[in-house]
Amino acid sequence: MPARAWLLAAPLVAYLALLLGYPIVVAVTLAFTDAATGTFPSVENVRTLADDGLFWRALLGNTVLPVATVALELVAGLALALLLSARIPARRLLRAVVVLPFALPEIVFLTIMRAILAPRGYANGALAAVGLEPVAWLLPGRLATWVAVVIVDAWHTTPVVFLVLLGALAAVPAEVDEAARLDGARGLRRLWHVTLPLLRPAIVAAVLLRGLDALRIFATPLVLGGAEGVPVLSTYAYHQWSDYGDDGAAAAAATLLAALAVAAALPLLRRRAEAAA
Amino acid sequence: MDAARRAWGLLVTCGFLVACGPPPDVTLAVALLPGELAGYRAVVDEWTAASGMRVAVVPQQYADIRRAIAAEGIAGRGTLDVVELDVYSLAPAAPDVSVLDAADLGLDGEAVDRAALDAGRLDGLRFVPHRVSWQALLYDRTVVERPPDTWDELLAVARAHPGRIGMKGARYEGLTCEVLPFVWAAGGSGTVFDDAGARAAFGLFAALAPYLHPESETFKEPTIAEAMARGELVLHLNWPFAMSLYASQGLAPSRIASAPLPRGPAGRATVLGGGYLAIPRHAPHPQAAAALVRHLVGRDAQARLAHELGWFSARRDVEPGGGDLLDGFVAMRDAVRPRPERRDYPALSKAWQEAFRAVAFARAEPAAALAAAGGRGAR
Repeated sequence: MPARAWLLAAPLVAYLALLLGYPIVVAVTLAFTDAATGTFPSVENVRTLADDGLFWRALLGNTVLPVATVALELVAGLALALLLSARIPARRLLRAVVVLPFALPEIVFLTIMRAILAPRGYANGALAAVGLEPVAWLLPGRLATWVAVVIVDAWHTTPVVFLVLLGALAAVPAEVDEAARLDGARGLRRLWHVTLPLLRPAIVAAVLLRGLDALRIFATPLVLGGAEGVPVLSTYAYHQWSDYGDDGAAAAAATLLAALAVAAALPLLRRRAEAAA
Repeated sequence: MDAARRAWGLLVTCGFLVACGPPPDVTLAVALLPGELAGYRAVVDEWTAASGMRVAVVPQQYADIRRAIAAEGIAGRGTLDVVELDVYSLAPAAPDVSVLDAADLGLDGEAVDRAALDAGRLDGLRFVPHRVSWQALLYDRTVVERPPDTWDELLAVARAHPGRIGMKGARYEGLTCEVLPFVWAAGGSGTVFDDAGARAAFGLFAALAPYLHPESETFKEPTIAEAMARGELVLHLNWPFAMSLYASQGLAPSRIASAPLPRGPAGRATVLGGGYLAIPRHAPHPQAAAALVRHLVGRDAQARLAHELGWFSARRDVEPGGGDLLDGFVAMRDAVRPRPERRDYPALSKAWQEAFRAVAFARAEPAAALAAAGGRGAR
């Protein structure tokens, strides 16, 4: 790389080193420092995490939640994109409606959802109106709480997948679709053998984008169920930091989350490169 | 053209200087609610008028203030002159603040509550009480005609209103502040898990467990206050801020009122909380900072804070404000106790939390939960 190129890149490199590199080094150092004795390296914080049942639940949550939310978003986003790419009445208005949840400020959206799902909230009010028992949507360790968090998060972020796939559908050449139609391919066969293969790069991009984003899911589980409702590593790190003032344990959990994100990103990036090729 | 450009430049520069203003003489970081800022600012402005020194009031959360002075301690220089910290933060923050002179601050007489002042002594007086606080019982007077006065009456209310008794059961210090009053009210020390007081309190928790609001497992101060406002709870324990919140929502004192905590076998008890002032070790203006602290803990400023913000003062010569809204809190004044002063307090506190959660939410036997907590606390 010529010197001039380095010079041009220097502000960005300095920015990244200062605001990304330095905090990472400090966080990793903190994660492996025993706060009581100041010893480095130490696995004391890792031991704190390993002894805590909530940490293991958070690790499980960080595995299950991203997979479930991204799968739901992919199915819903694809269905909506296929529907609203067709020439149907008021499709522009419907597209705006689909994107609306993403346009709402997250904390506003989640506060509304919390009021809806509270024990005496609107959801249970609706269930009672039709003679059904109330559901504990926000309690720790309940399947209903997991379902609520997955649906609420997917509802909020499905527009991202929808927009990516809608754009990709618009780029599918009309003649390919027409040729498939003339060859007798109909409905699901045409979708499976023609549309989806053409959408593959966009689907991989959407999964990559949302998958990495979903790994660091934070506000939805925290606002709906507190640190313990549906724990994930980010809410666990926040819990250690804010409730116990244990910076070392928080840094250890955050470091693990970062490592998971990197581990998840590598194969996805490789696959995306292959898809692009 | 040049003249016009110069005039614009001058105008912009003047505007910038006016907007920035001169730097403050003292910077004060204090944990205020948005609604408290104007009233507090007025009290600080009195000092500015008398001393001629400007004060920058920086509203911050306690945890952020603690981290800020820790960072300034590491850096060896700072920007904060006076800080307010909660009782829980005093021990970890002690190395980062200066020792104060009680006589110089006018706090050496009988005017100040001795226990509240002693809570700020950590290798010398480092923190002085800015405001003291404790929990009382908040109840819905439209449902519960008379607040429970004893543990038996509390249990009777719980049985009459299943699922509508709330406790702050999340894993955090607030849960310890729920547990210790009951342990103390039964004669327990709060430092060991196998005394009669601990056993009696946990027996009560086990009896209450089936009647607790299902969200108790995740409740903290704001969420439990919201649940009470929504009508989901008939009673819970909370700090005075909750009553101010209900008053601003028109819910208190007409619907929600405060009462003393129920009496246990050994009487009543509640945990000391509140905000303490300190001067960081690297405060840039320590003399001015000491003068401001002297003003803020003085009788006149404390009386104004009590009257306008409903704060409780550690000074005995200051009448509590808040009117009948805070009756229950006023009645608990002589039952306030500081948390155990031990180096391993965080571990002890966590052990109490785990024991309560085991009994209240996992329905463990009280004796087994206390024995397990004893093991954890001793580690």
